[in-house]
Amino acid sequence: MRAGGPHELLGGVFDRDLCIGCGACVSLCPYFKSYKGKTSMLFPCTRSEGRCFAYCPKIEVDLDDISRAMFGEPYAADSLGRYRSVHIARAGKNVGSGTFQAGGTVSGLVMHALKTGSIDAAVLTGRNGLNPVPAVVTDINEVAKHATSTYTAAPTIAMFNRASQEGYERIGIVVTPCQALALAQIRRNPTNEKNYKDRSALVVGLFCTWSLDYRKFRTLIAEHVGVAAVRKFDLPPPPAEIMEVHTDNGIIEIPLPQVRERVPHSCDYCFDMTAEFADVSVGVLEGRTDMNTLIIRTERGEKAVEEAVRDGYITLGELPAENLDHLRAAAGNKKMRAFKKANDEGLINTPPDKNALFRIPKETIKRI
Amino acid sequence: MKKVALLKDPYNLIITGVGGQGNVMASRMLGNALACKGFYITIGETFGVSQRGGSVMSHLRISKKSAWSPQIPSGQADVIVALEPTEAIRVIASYGNPDVTVLSNTRPIYPVGVIAGELKYPGIDEIRAALGGLAGTVMFINATEEAIRLGQPILGNVIMMGAVAGTGLIPFDTDDFCAVMSESMSGDKLASNIEAFERGKTLVRAPKSE
Amino acid sequence: MSYHTDTNEGAEYLLMGNDAIVRGALEAGVSVASAYPGTPSSEIIENLAKASADRNLYVEWSVNEKVALEVSFAASIAGLRAICAMKQNGVNVASDFLLHVALSGTRGGLVLVHCEDPGALSSINEGESRHFAKMNEVPLLEPGDFQEAKDMTKWAFDLSEELRSIVMMRSVTRLSHASGNVKIGRLPVPKTRAFFSYSGPMLDPETGPVLTMPVPPHHALLQEKIRKAAEIFEDSPFNTYTGPARPELMIITCSACSLYCREAVHLLGAEKRTGILKLGTTWPLPPKLIRKYLSSTDTILFAEEVLPFMEENVKVLASEMASDIGIKKFYGKNDGTIPMINELNPDILVEAIKKILSIDYTAVDPAYAAKAKSFVSSMAPVRDLTFCPGCPHRASFWNIHNALAMDARSGFVCGDIGCYTLGFLPCGFNTMKTSHSMGSGIGIACGFGKLTRFGMDQPILAVCGDSTFFHAAIPALVNAIHTKSDVIFVLLDNSGTAMTGFQPHPGTSFDAMGNGVIQIDPAAICRSMGATVEFADPFDIEATQDSLLRLLEEKGARVLIMRQMCALSPEKKGKKKYDVSVDQAICVGENCGCDRLCTRIFRCPGLVWDFERGAAKIDDVICAGCGVCASICPSGAIKKTEASG
Repeated sequence: MRAGGPHELLGGVFDRDLCIGCGACVSLCPYFKSYKGKTSMLFPCTRSEGRCFAYCPKIEVDLDDISRAMFGEPYAADSLGRYRSVHIARAGKNVGSGTFQAGGTVSGLVMHALKTGSIDAAVLTGRNGLNPVPAVVTDINEVAKHATSTYTAAPTIAMFNRASQEGYERIGIVVTPCQALALAQIRRNPTNEKNYKDRSALVVGLFCTWSLDYRKFRTLIAEHVGVAAVRKFDLPPPPAEIMEVHTDNGIIEIPLPQVRERVPHSCDYCFDMTAEFADVSVGVLEGRTDMNTLIIRTERGEKAVEEAVRDGYITLGELPAENLDHLRAAAGNKKMRAFKKANDEGLINTPPDKNALFRIPKETIKRI
Repeated sequence: MKKVALLKDPYNLIITGVGGQGNVMASRMLGNALACKGFYITIGETFGVSQRGGSVMSHLRISKKSAWSPQIPSGQADVIVALEPTEAIRVIASYGNPDVTVLSNTRPIYPVGVIAGELKYPGIDEIRAALGGLAGTVMFINATEEAIRLGQPILGNVIMMGAVAGTGLIPFDTDDFCAVMSESMSGDKLASNIEAFERGKTLVRAPKSE
Repeated sequence: MSYHTDTNEGAEYLLMGNDAIVRGALEAGVSVASAYPGTPSSEIIENLAKASADRNLYVEWSVNEKVALEVSFAASIAGLRAICAMKQNGVNVASDFLLHVALSGTRGGLVLVHCEDPGALSSINEGESRHFAKMNEVPLLEPGDFQEAKDMTKWAFDLSEELRSIVMMRSVTRLSHASGNVKIGRLPVPKTRAFFSYSGPMLDPETGPVLTMPVPPHHALLQEKIRKAAEIFEDSPFNTYTGPARPELMIITCSACSLYCREAVHLLGAEKRTGILKLGTTWPLPPKLIRKYLSSTDTILFAEEVLPFMEENVKVLASEMASDIGIKKFYGKNDGTIPMINELNPDILVEAIKKILSIDYTAVDPAYAAKAKSFVSSMAPVRDLTFCPGCPHRASFWNIHNALAMDARSGFVCGDIGCYTLGFLPCGFNTMKTSHSMGSGIGIACGFGKLTRFGMDQPILAVCGDSTFFHAAIPALVNAIHTKSDVIFVLLDNSGTAMTGFQPHPGTSFDAMGNGVIQIDPAAICRSMGATVEFADPFDIEATQDSLLRLLEEKGARVLIMRQMCALSPEKKGKKKYDVSVDQAICVGENCGCDRLCTRIFRCPGLVWDFERGAAKIDDVICAGCGVCASICPSGAIKKTEASG
């Protein structure tokens, strides 16, 4: 893995407009700050190597290295990444009712983990108006408040960094795929920090096809509704080409093409729909807005799910083969589009004089 | 020891330092003392933004004949008094000559560029060597240390003025200093100023002061 | 004994040029003095204020230069003598009124002293206000040394009364802030009865109303005054000549340059070949005197700072006289012999004279000079200007910079004149991107704020100090509010005119003479205009940045008053609020996570870098104890505790 510093990060990520604002470089030093979904560098830093570069999911991401560290195996060419099992899931009877985005599986898992103490804090992302606001939650009753999708890119990893510094030992965190990738890099301790300790205890990934730029999205919403009245957003499955905005005055529909114009450039290069580097990944079940798709990827993910089922915080079912096929197709499409774009632009396995976006063996790309 | 005549007319003395070191006070005191003795004095000084960390320089022209330019011409300094050592280098480059006498404080005041790590500040031995190669006589005085020893770091400039008197190069001694200072102060304050001045004189006479 | 009150005629003092002007005004029996502070003019009013009780003067720091001149003018037409002082660009501010004063005429002696700053030693311009004298048809005097500064000031009042015209007198930094021997004269008993007579005939200069109308007769009268001034100047003792009767080279000079010329001629040993005509009355020029000296030689060198004012005016006369005096060879600014920028010095004159007279002279052995210069570049690190330790502006710009960087929409700051002008430098984190005349930051910002229709979506801030606010920012702020311009106006309120030495202003509770006055509240003014006003303490980093970030999301004209007293203010200087120290064991230093934020970026002079230990430390002698660095330290290594004493 190549080392680099803030200078390389500016050139390779910010100047290429690849920063998604995940917050991996934030709260480590006084230089990178996140505000309204955007990460900015306040002052120049002269270091030639730094955590900011090493943690960033948008520069010199060596997928084989990361995969080996996490799964003991090189990066899989599978459209869903490496996983153990796939299920349908929903919140169990011991989860009170709340505004879940879909089946409530994420809330169930997090609440259960907090309740049993398998995590001592949960890093979740709520929203203030349209602004995504990450938070550290230790009270089980607070979990539901952070359960709706924000759709806007959020600096969730910055809050993980802060929670780590504040001394939480077993952190549960709900992340998007890019954030999961950042976290996977952090967990490898790529800069060989003395006294490093992996403080993540449960990484719950969310399916994601794209996110939205906060300022641009806010402008769009303001044109259609007005910020204060918004309660929740929803994307009905295809062929509905709309975004539903739930407001105090009912549901307002925004044509999806208008929304897509507000997708950050960086999402075009994202190969991961299902949060391949999470312990478990959760998404909406196609055709059933009250159920989730659940992918279990790691041993500790498996354990968390089993215990949550046992204690009535989630219930599982079998995923119909047709749904799995559709999921694979969608994830595969995203992966292919992203790798092709990155490859065409010379961002994969870039020659050593420049920094690559990804490094991945040629054969793996071919198989994809 | 007291001389009434000037070694040269006009006799040119530069006091240099950094904003806040009491440069202006020193030049006014010296100028007033000499004006009282019937000399024409011209003092040119730059202040204003110099208070904000910049270099400060006072040009003192001493003459029996008339007023002179408030700016000394290139290469025409006879004595350079530096309250900060690298300022002596800056001044000697513009106003020095092979016969000039330099009296320099040893205590550095680092520019912000040095503190920020962008610029380098030389070692005192390098400064010593550089000035030695340019001046006729160089005397280093631990004025700030001495002032701290007297319990009043602010009196570094007065110690330097005492050192100037100690050289005997200009017609200026303790009596003249007392006469000027007693117009603006008295009691303990005056006494400690005189003590610092006397200390400065001894630092130049003492063989180890160089 | 102070030179203000010494009645011992003939006593000698070592006086600054500005003090000499003060003594001259006192010897003229001045009753009223007014000014707006500006280096290098400020000491004039400060010292007249010190003499105010003894000499029964009224002295004020006015809100701006135009008002200052109006205040002095009132005294003049009430029959008193008055002096008004300002720096070079102040004359631009006062110039509208100056045009009208010239036309209406004056009664008691009225002298406008403008202290200019060739080389911009403490200015952000090197403006030439001599042209205002010619433009507005007002006599102009330029003293050439310290004694003249006193004598000429006194005479300027007589001249003003003789002509019934305001008289301008130009000083420069190298006179105003330099010192020389001055013999003092008699102190008169000033006239104390003020009365404005207005019931006489329309055009009667002593008893009529004081107007500029009807204009043509007033203008004719004004030009008659200028003709009369030229006549008076023919015999003025302030125009002096030294040198042989028929010199090879005639140097025509004025102001401090006359001292440089004398020095240069002396160094070159050219006394027998060179004549120096020093003009003290530079507008209008006395034509007979000029003819006499132009006739004595064929080669002329002009030495003046900055623009060729005197040079061009002499050349006009020379061309009119050409048939009598012949064709001359002129050296000066127009042919490049003397630079048209920056201040002059003896060396520039040495170079010019030695070239014209083909004299072989080397000031410094080139080998010596080269060696010395190499030591400067290798061993004398540049001293960049910076804010003082504990300066509120450092914290204010830190907050503004960080808020704008986080906001990430390429926002910027428009500023103007004051200590905070340094906001464009690293000490202000290079935050300020425009800086012009007093109050122009908000004016420019107001213009930027109206460019949204052309796609401009950058946030716009204007900063201005509390004194500048009263001076010239209010009309621009009115404009911004009136036009719904999208700007944030940040008032950097440090409770005084800090840059020039804490002169009072309308927001302070005392006047130039130390008397209580009505304190005007900038916040109340802004509110009454309809602006929302918020306050922030710039030392409270988090709260101030939050306020800024919130305001950045809003529209229209917004006002944020950042209030924290100047670290050098008499109330605060030497009193530490906190004892600050660095726990070097915790200091992250150059490592990932800090990279010397405090010493490399924040750069307060009170913070130093301990090279041996690789950690920051506090210089207790320099630290002002504001405690802000403790708030910016990312590792909590900088500790502050409430200071005991």
